[in-house]
Amino acid sequence: MNFPSWTLLGQSLLSGIFIGSLYGLLGLGLSLSWGMLRQINLAHFALAFLGAYLTFQLTSVGGMDPLLTLGLIAPAFFAFGVLMQWLFSRFSISPFNSLLVTFGLTVIIESLIQWIWTADYRKMDSVYGEMKFKIGSLYVPLPELLTLIIAVTLSLSTWALLRYTDLGKAMRAAAEDPQIAAAFGVNEKRLALLLSGLAATFAGVAGLCLALSYTLSPSQIYAWIGVVFAAVMIGGLGNPIGPLIAGIVIGVAEAMTMALISPAWAPLVSFSLLILVLLTRADKV
Amino acid sequence: MLELDHIEVCHGLATALWDVSLKMAAGELVCVVGPNGAGKTTLIEAIAGLNRITAGTLSMDGASLNKLARNRFCDQGIAIVPEGRRLLTTMSVQENLELGSYRAAARVHRQASLERVLALFPVLKMRLAAPAGTLSGGQQQMVAIGRALMAQPRLLLLDEPSLGLAPSIVLEMFKAIRDINESGVAVLLVEQNVAMALEIAARAYVLEEGRIIAEGTPEKLLTEPHIRRAYLGEA
Amino acid sequence: MKLSAPAWIALVGLGLATVPFFGLPAFYESFLYLIFSAIVLATSWNILSGYSGYFSFGHGAFFGAGMYTTATLTSKFEIPFLWTLPAAGIIAALLGVGVGAVVFRLRRLRGELFALLTLAVTFVLATIVLNTPIDGGQGVPLTAVTLPAILSSPSSTLYVLGLAMALLTLWIAYSIYLAKLGTGLFAIHDDEDVAEVMGVPTYRYKLIAFGLSCALAGVAGGIHAMFISYVTVGETFSIIVPLNVVLMSVLGGTRHWLGPAVGATVITALLYGFTAGDYPVAGRAAVGLILIVVILFMPEGLLGRFIPRLEGRRRKTTAATPVAAAPAPDAVQASSETLLRINGLSKAFSGVQALDGADVEVRRGEILGLVGPNGSGKSTLINMISGHFRLDSGSIVFDGVDIAGLPAHRVAQAGIARTYQIPRPFAHLSVLQNVTLPAMFGRAALGRGAAESEARYWLEFTGLAEKADALPGELNLHQRKFLELARALASRPRLLLLDEVLSGLTPAEIDHAIATIRTIRDLGATIVFVEHVMHAVMELSDRIVVLNYGKVIAEGKPEEVMRRPEVVTVYLGKPHA
Repeated sequence: MNFPSWTLLGQSLLSGIFIGSLYGLLGLGLSLSWGMLRQINLAHFALAFLGAYLTFQLTSVGGMDPLLTLGLIAPAFFAFGVLMQWLFSRFSISPFNSLLVTFGLTVIIESLIQWIWTADYRKMDSVYGEMKFKIGSLYVPLPELLTLIIAVTLSLSTWALLRYTDLGKAMRAAAEDPQIAAAFGVNEKRLALLLSGLAATFAGVAGLCLALSYTLSPSQIYAWIGVVFAAVMIGGLGNPIGPLIAGIVIGVAEAMTMALISPAWAPLVSFSLLILVLLTRADKV
Repeated sequence: MLELDHIEVCHGLATALWDVSLKMAAGELVCVVGPNGAGKTTLIEAIAGLNRITAGTLSMDGASLNKLARNRFCDQGIAIVPEGRRLLTTMSVQENLELGSYRAAARVHRQASLERVLALFPVLKMRLAAPAGTLSGGQQQMVAIGRALMAQPRLLLLDEPSLGLAPSIVLEMFKAIRDINESGVAVLLVEQNVAMALEIAARAYVLEEGRIIAEGTPEKLLTEPHIRRAYLGEA
Repeated sequence: MKLSAPAWIALVGLGLATVPFFGLPAFYESFLYLIFSAIVLATSWNILSGYSGYFSFGHGAFFGAGMYTTATLTSKFEIPFLWTLPAAGIIAALLGVGVGAVVFRLRRLRGELFALLTLAVTFVLATIVLNTPIDGGQGVPLTAVTLPAILSSPSSTLYVLGLAMALLTLWIAYSIYLAKLGTGLFAIHDDEDVAEVMGVPTYRYKLIAFGLSCALAGVAGGIHAMFISYVTVGETFSIIVPLNVVLMSVLGGTRHWLGPAVGATVITALLYGFTAGDYPVAGRAAVGLILIVVILFMPEGLLGRFIPRLEGRRRKTTAATPVAAAPAPDAVQASSETLLRINGLSKAFSGVQALDGADVEVRRGEILGLVGPNGSGKSTLINMISGHFRLDSGSIVFDGVDIAGLPAHRVAQAGIARTYQIPRPFAHLSVLQNVTLPAMFGRAALGRGAAESEARYWLEFTGLAEKADALPGELNLHQRKFLELARALASRPRLLLLDEVLSGLTPAEIDHAIATIRTIRDLGATIVFVEHVMHAVMELSDRIVVLNYGKVIAEGKPEEVMRRPEVVTVYLGKPHA
């Protein structure tokens, strides 16, 4: 094995951080709905891809700036999240059944995407696509940097929301003991709707980031599930910052594995970590 | 102030309360005693809005609360210290207390209420930032009472505040309850520590198997054969 | 004439076996083969996941292990195809048992966490296969491997193999469904802790079910490798396999041996139909929609929805079997001989000392009342004796044998039965099945037939005979409490632990229950009896033990003990005349 150059290592580290931030961003909504609403929302990934395709459409065909598409996508996704939570509470769905129902939803969204945009690979052309700049000998592509900034901003603001505002504290209280929260005046059903809307909006934002940096195809939906679940479990359910940190750790570990050993071994890192976390901390997650 | 008129509550499959009538005036300290499984907790939770009433009327100041959403009960000035405390164990002591003052009318007085609670339970001052789950049983009970006081209640519902606490802590807890009552808050106390409860209560109800079987002043009840039979199995 | 299920399986199998001789286009055989393969996968998955409720998302890993075993052995070691199939099954089973041996020890790793863990195992396995010579990233072609000429064409041969596997899997699933193993697995599904306390060796049962499930999937994988003739990691270890398997089983109904097969047939035919008809995308969407609709409106699946009605109709006729002779639970006269001796028992839960050096002695044939205020450690004591918790220190000697630290099912088999304060019946088993289970797994260790008549006896005894075919959900609290009692009695215990059987009952029901317990005592059982309803304690107990803060503070004759000042203090909060 040849030891790679420092530049290559640095570049790997950077790309690990970048992809890790996308893991974290995808994991943020997943972690909120799992930890605080007790729903394992597999459809989160399909929603993110739907968001990505919508961004692609609005940008490539509608000629919008990719970042501005959020103005349309975010409210629509928020409404979708609210609707979903309403249905879930209407049918009082158990955590396990939420997994199956959202798998059904995933398949439907995947089919929808395939029907509208076909199974071909799509890559969005945008003003940001080719922008990159150089720090020392390292290249920093702008789309990836944007993803990192968005992921950090969203995770930190969600954390602050939950930590410092009355609304956020009420959400945490309702997640832990809805009855007691209600006894002290918290409208826990409305907060659940809000939270679910928020999680779906985050999926839309993650979709924007996917569209900025990645080539899209419907089957790619499934490629992200395993590793993002690992980030969420390692980061802690309901924790808004954990998935980002765990995501970056996994991303960097994968990138290093790719650079030092072989790209194909990379998945081993995240899933071994996940198994380890499950075996040792199962009572805490 | 509070009136329960022939209420019935179903809890799961079993009817937990059959026919309970109870009245409380503002500022009164009333206790409900009775053996385990008599329905005391169901009663307290029904008054706090956590259990739905299936028959009869629950009213505050003459207005029925039967149809009220459960998160609106606290706006009536009702606050609960539930059985087993039910603190939010992952949240800090301060956050637990602040949850008490979530409702708009109490939120504006949050700082004053907090100071009042800390004056009542000074040990909590040092633990404000600690996760509530790491406190000792007695301190957790103080947080639970403090949380309810933060809601600025007119009526405080206490469900077995002495449960699982060492005797010396129990004494302290009862002293605090009396102080709270003397500050003008009506208290409805459910206890299996009969003697302690009867000592501080002005009136008491005896609940057995989902029904009120006796009512009156503590002096009167302590002479009742019912009480001795229910607790000591005397014939 | 009525045929049994195995006869039906054989008959349908024979019929299908003639298909290759009709000279249909290979297309039909391939289509049917896909259905068979799906039946094997879904049914084998169901043996662990449907019966015991441990939803695995790792079935793709075991299927894949089988595929790669056959692919490697045939293409690289030139072992004849048929010989590789047992190997494929064994490798997959070993893998499953290896995972299970670790995972099933962890009490918390149930539900969605188990699903996630098995999914992670799939991806780890995929990565290893991809990066080692097993695959090497190129995939393994099997085009050069010769298929044994069982029938004239390759497609016919695979068809017959697939059919044989499907029949075998269905037969195994059916046998387990009826066997003791199946009963135990269904109990684990509803309440694993209670199953263990009633004598089901839960760990071993889960492991056996997982091993069998994986072995069948492995063999199916071996055949499938030959069918697709080109094995790649991406196709094999994808999340689609487990998700489809789960979907098929849930659609058909996971609580019936035939459910997954029905689901597999419907889904495969549907997908195939849409693919053939130019609307593959619409087909996928339809499958997704079906899944949602089924979960929302028919969470028990197609068979779960319709079979119980049929069986209910049939059962009515058999319900009136005569009651067997009265089997008394270990009848002996009350004596001074010690049956259970507890010395210095301590147990703390996250800092709270629930039991603090408690000493209790239970004599053969007596009723011992265990009283004390809430939180004094009574229920913990019951939980410790029945083996639910490990003790911190002390000893529990039952009939001369130290049972401290034994798994709960061994304690049950030794002859200790308990009831739960809040009844914990197996929600999906009928009242009769609920009582039959402890008769099979507890000390009585009866065969199914004998266990059932034993159960009917105790149902009659507790006044529940009318409800034998009902589900526990249809019972009121009073009846559920009596169901608890019947379950405990049916195991023919030598020691009966009753945890607040009277709480929550109306006065009339309490009187009825007291009469029942008195009858049990007259049968000669030894009973430890936790109770708050004091007049019942006074009426029933030979001796009482008073606990406070995890310590025994008094012991003796009821009337005498309840007058002692220290006991009055505990109950009324301070000394009181």
